[in-house]
Amino acid sequence: MVNDDSPVTRRSYLKGTAGAAVTASLAGCAFGGGGGSDDTLTIAGTVPETGAFSSLGQDLRRGYELGQARMNEQLDRDVELLLQDDESDAQTLRQNLQQMTSNNDVNMIWGSFSSLLVTAGSAYAENQNLPFLGIAFAYEEPHRNDNYEWTYAPFPKSRDVARSTLGTLELIPESERPSRVGIWEPNSGWGREQAEYWETRLGEAGYDIVLRETFEIGSQDFSTLISQSQSADVEVLLSNPTPGGGITAVNQMQSNNWSPDMLKFVRGADPSAWWSALGDAGAYALMCPGWVPGLTGNGNQQLRETYTSEYETEGQYMPVNVGGSYNLTQVALQAVQAAGSIEAEAIRDALRSETFQTVIGEFGFEDNGLPAEGELTAPTGQWWDGAQRLAYPNTGSERALEFRYPIPPWSER
Amino acid sequence: MVTGELVSQSIVNGLLLGGIYAVAALGLSLVFGIMDIVNLAHGHMLMVGAYVAILLFAATGITPLLGMFLAIGLLFALGIVLQKVLLKHVVGEGIEQPIIVLFGLALILQNIGQLVLGGDARTADLGIPGSGIDLGFVFLSLPRTVTFVVAVLLIVSTWAFLQYTRTGQAIRATAQNRTAAKHMGIDTDRIYVITLGIGTALAGAAGALLSMLFPIDPYIGWSYLLKAFAVVVLGGVGSILGTLVGGVVLGVSENLGALYLGGGYRNVVSLLIFLGVLLLKPEGLFGSGGDGE
Repeated sequence: MVNDDSPVTRRSYLKGTAGAAVTASLAGCAFGGGGGSDDTLTIAGTVPETGAFSSLGQDLRRGYELGQARMNEQLDRDVELLLQDDESDAQTLRQNLQQMTSNNDVNMIWGSFSSLLVTAGSAYAENQNLPFLGIAFAYEEPHRNDNYEWTYAPFPKSRDVARSTLGTLELIPESERPSRVGIWEPNSGWGREQAEYWETRLGEAGYDIVLRETFEIGSQDFSTLISQSQSADVEVLLSNPTPGGGITAVNQMQSNNWSPDMLKFVRGADPSAWWSALGDAGAYALMCPGWVPGLTGNGNQQLRETYTSEYETEGQYMPVNVGGSYNLTQVALQAVQAAGSIEAEAIRDALRSETFQTVIGEFGFEDNGLPAEGELTAPTGQWWDGAQRLAYPNTGSERALEFRYPIPPWSER
Repeated sequence: MVTGELVSQSIVNGLLLGGIYAVAALGLSLVFGIMDIVNLAHGHMLMVGAYVAILLFAATGITPLLGMFLAIGLLFALGIVLQKVLLKHVVGEGIEQPIIVLFGLALILQNIGQLVLGGDARTADLGIPGSGIDLGFVFLSLPRTVTFVVAVLLIVSTWAFLQYTRTGQAIRATAQNRTAAKHMGIDTDRIYVITLGIGTALAGAAGALLSMLFPIDPYIGWSYLLKAFAVVVLGGVGSILGTLVGGVVLGVSENLGALYLGGGYRNVVSLLIFLGVLLLKPEGLFGSGGDGE
């Protein structure tokens, strides 16, 4: 078991950072790393600071900014990060990227939140022949069908989410393990893809898929789905709604006096707004946001130290999207280091060929930008006492928790 | 598999939801029927009412059922100010100008909501989670049942006000013929002020009720405006009974559509009914004044 709580004082952290910076600069002098160039690495990106996904904007920005600081320490060139608010809107995102790339010599683009916004940014980057990194982007189909050449997703994909769901279920003792699975499928491409993976993966493992019903993204009324799930005696409920949809659904489960024994809302339960809107009613919900407090190794401890020293935070649990976006910056850093250049093609080639160590694990990419199959263990988190904590895989971290199952009925909560 | 139990549960859920749809549409119908303007900011006023109830609940723990009265008061005042300051210059000047003013107001309200409260969804509740009445074949969720009863009471109260008070009679007279009403000594400008006040107050009431069932964010205005439109078209402009029936038809058809065709088609059935009514009875189910208003 790894304990990621070993005491690291601020002094020792600063010493380590300074040492790494000195080593990196020496390496640059000795070997001409990065070509010894003084050229600035300019990165453009957007985050949803207003609009429907605004509850996640600050977390993404913080992860990106912490990553930029680390890149500035470890690369022998300045790293400039241009970040704008995309207002949770794909059109605004495109306009912002267009404006940033027109006015600056941009070398790389970082994505926003959700498949909707990330694919919009990716399409722009593909058109401009610029390397693009995107998180919160589990949808696999665009990677296969859109001939991606510049888009890379350091993030668990639909197949990884399904594998992680199975892993989480296997944490339950066999005698108590549920068997009846219900899937609420958003009427979107990713909704269909994720539902297919869940149905196939869990079906092959012997689970009964007793319900698979679609719902409209933006729907405010889940009462029919709740009745259908109750009627089908669903024990495990899986879905990938928007954050607003997920909150609405749980709210209505409560008022309809029904809840499954296990609930996993991928993306829906990602933001901190989950707890502020639902409070204790949001407890026990699982999510798969790419990174969860409780993961260890590959800079997790360093990230936590930096985050807590940089930002005044009340809790000891970092928001999940800070870790997810920081992981993206680690990939960018290592790709530029490996490329030894900020030329777009060199960075792309490094993305294709290198293996990356980040706070979410160790992985490489397929040519189409998908993380190589089977290399990423998608961490599953669970809401408990106002924080998202790692439920699967078991790292032994003090920030992880023992997977809590089953969800008690509303009357006992 | 669709069972009889599922069908009856869907109908009951739709019926209970329909009550709130009806209140949400009533103010729109009233303002359209009497002032001949389409209040494009109606959904955003509903959003403001919801936030009033939610913030009051968050600050004091006062249930949105009581917070609704504060929302009604504030939105009534907003309606009066709106009519006196903005709309009086454009009402009766064609349909474009009020639409532009109200569209602008909708955008302003949405952006104020976003700036002040952020984009996160917020909720309030009745403090009775998970409770309800189990009738065996259907479960009556207590929050939904309570909001439905309050919604019906609001609709009946509005009907009684229009039917039995002097102001209500003056409003109806103005709706029938503004010029004749003026000649009969009715201060029609004042009637417009009161009408818009009542219309926006009803939006505030609907918002407060909705806050007990659904999370609210600054962007809900347009979707509830569309639902309110559908209810008004179904029931008939200016008809209170028609609004209630239209709301229930919309709620039930949405739920049955979701049950039989899947949730992705939730709105398809209700939209087909909406189109059917437009084609076959464009004045709405009660558009000829069937409730005797």
